[in-house]
Amino acid sequence: MAKKPVKYKKKLAHKATIKFGSFERRRGLEGWAFSLPWIVGFILLMILPLFLSIRTSFFETKLTDPFGFDGNSMFVGFDNYVEVVKDPAYGEVVFNSFLTSLYKVPVVVAFALFVAVLLKQNFPGRTIFRVIFFIPVILAGVIMSYLFSDSVGSISVFSTLTSSQTFGFVYKIFGNEIISQIGTIMWASSVEILIFLAALQSVPAILYEVVELDGATAWESFWHVTLPYVSPFVILNCIYALVDTFVDARNPVMNLLSTLNAAGNKYGVAAALSWMYMLATLLVILIFILLTKRWLR
Amino acid sequence: MKAFFGKIVGKIKGLIDKYKSLGYRAKKKIRFIIGRVFLYFVLIELAYLFILPFIYIFTTSMMSYQDYLDPTVKWIPTSIHWKNYSDAFKGLSYFGMFKGDSGDKVFMSSFLNTCITSFGSAIFQSISCAIIGYALGRFKFKGRNIVFLTVILALLIPPQTMIIATYGIWSKLGMINTFMPILLPTLFGLGIRGGLFALIYMYFFQRIPDAMDDAARIDGAGPFRVFLQIMLPLVRSAIAIVFIFSFVWHWNDNYEAPMYMYRDRMLTLQPKLQHIKQYFADLMGDTGSDSDPIRKAMSEPTLFAGCLLVLLPVLIVFIVGQKKLAAGIERIGVIE
Repeated sequence: MAKKPVKYKKKLAHKATIKFGSFERRRGLEGWAFSLPWIVGFILLMILPLFLSIRTSFFETKLTDPFGFDGNSMFVGFDNYVEVVKDPAYGEVVFNSFLTSLYKVPVVVAFALFVAVLLKQNFPGRTIFRVIFFIPVILAGVIMSYLFSDSVGSISVFSTLTSSQTFGFVYKIFGNEIISQIGTIMWASSVEILIFLAALQSVPAILYEVVELDGATAWESFWHVTLPYVSPFVILNCIYALVDTFVDARNPVMNLLSTLNAAGNKYGVAAALSWMYMLATLLVILIFILLTKRWLR
Repeated sequence: MKAFFGKIVGKIKGLIDKYKSLGYRAKKKIRFIIGRVFLYFVLIELAYLFILPFIYIFTTSMMSYQDYLDPTVKWIPTSIHWKNYSDAFKGLSYFGMFKGDSGDKVFMSSFLNTCITSFGSAIFQSISCAIIGYALGRFKFKGRNIVFLTVILALLIPPQTMIIATYGIWSKLGMINTFMPILLPTLFGLGIRGGLFALIYMYFFQRIPDAMDDAARIDGAGPFRVFLQIMLPLVRSAIAIVFIFSFVWHWNDNYEAPMYMYRDRMLTLQPKLQHIKQYFADLMGDTGSDSDPIRKAMSEPTLFAGCLLVLLPVLIVFIVGQKKLAAGIERIGVIE
């Protein structure tokens, strides 16, 4: 009598092992099952267009036949790339956009960290402030471009708003140019603030208690507890801000691409330019990651 | 003058001495109060800067163009000019019968178009990105790093790089001027900033302790049941964040939507905003240049009224979802 249930159990376990393998293997299969939709979408909607646009960049294409499948288009090898490199107009736009990104990113990240540290504090009304700092996300799009573009008298609405009223005294010291820049840069930092808030809230509260007992001031605890803890997120935010400025719709390179695409007969050049630009951005990000590797834990 | 400064310096010195003579608790309290004053001062200043353009749009949208050109009228218009709104409503072809491409009146609603693209995308993305985020956040499997890399790549590659290729694919499929080019990618977790949403979900799923799904599994729940009934309810705040961001970003999209849906009937609100100026030119029947300052001034208040009409639904969604969003922001990163 006692033998039967044991046998039964063994059999069941055996069957389960054959069907699904070990626990780890089963978990692995489930992981693949959950990532399947993404992989299918990525192959169809990212890899396929990317492949097509590489192909386009090697052809002289026409409006009727952007991919050169009909045989009307000419294979031109690297001519499109050579055209982009040779034309100083393209080079200038790309160089300028890289330069602006490089000085914008540190300002955005520093400002976002500053605001996030303030917002992390426990004070009445913090929810309202946290929501207010997301207004730029709502106002994004065409409306933003109206606010930043020239208004009557060719003064940007935003620069007048930031300069004369809010920062009256600072404005007198630094002049209009920098202040209006600060305004626009600050507006680009909403998502970064969110990421920093998340990071700050994951710092164990016990660490602050420990350093306070050891007699550290708020300033010291920021440099010795907060900053080391959020350093991976500083890097993450730098990368996000870099990407954000590189692919921003107001970016001159993006404007150039749009006009090239709209021209109709320059698809090959546009594709070549966008590929070179993308590889350059990836290179910048890669260099950045390699340089900051030791702060990533 | 010198005596005056000396007096002030003496007073400050006195205050510092007084502060030094205080006990530990009192010192702490004073530091706390000074910190709070500083905090509110900085935050109110910054918040003011963030709200200001909003107020500017609001007041300008109610001005007549005489008010707009008058330098003495800065914030408050002399009279409220509601006509801006009705003009903007027509210029945007917000909802109703309007003159179409062919010249006769047809039903057009850029508002409904935008609702379909943004609500649809938001719903799809908050589901599909949760699936990929769940896979990355809670499973260790061979090739996970490669899948993670594809998510990062999706975030890094701008749509401008491959817009011609995707346009070609959609036109081969006969889906130009339908909602499919916007909605289909979101079903797979792509679409506008799909990679970022996947990362947000991944981050939230990683924070849930392992014991949660172990317990559910011991009770006999299958993998999909664990995902739907245990895991998704635990990341409600992430769903709120992703939904609101996805909705807002799709609502404000001015690149992909007009590229795939360019016929007058299919246009969304954001590209329609640029049509308001054209609408004005048609109304006045002139061919004056766009840079003519008077023309510009006449269309500007209407333009801002149009901006407000475009923003209104987003504002409503934001205010309704604000509590959830704030809760999500509060909870994000907190170790439970």
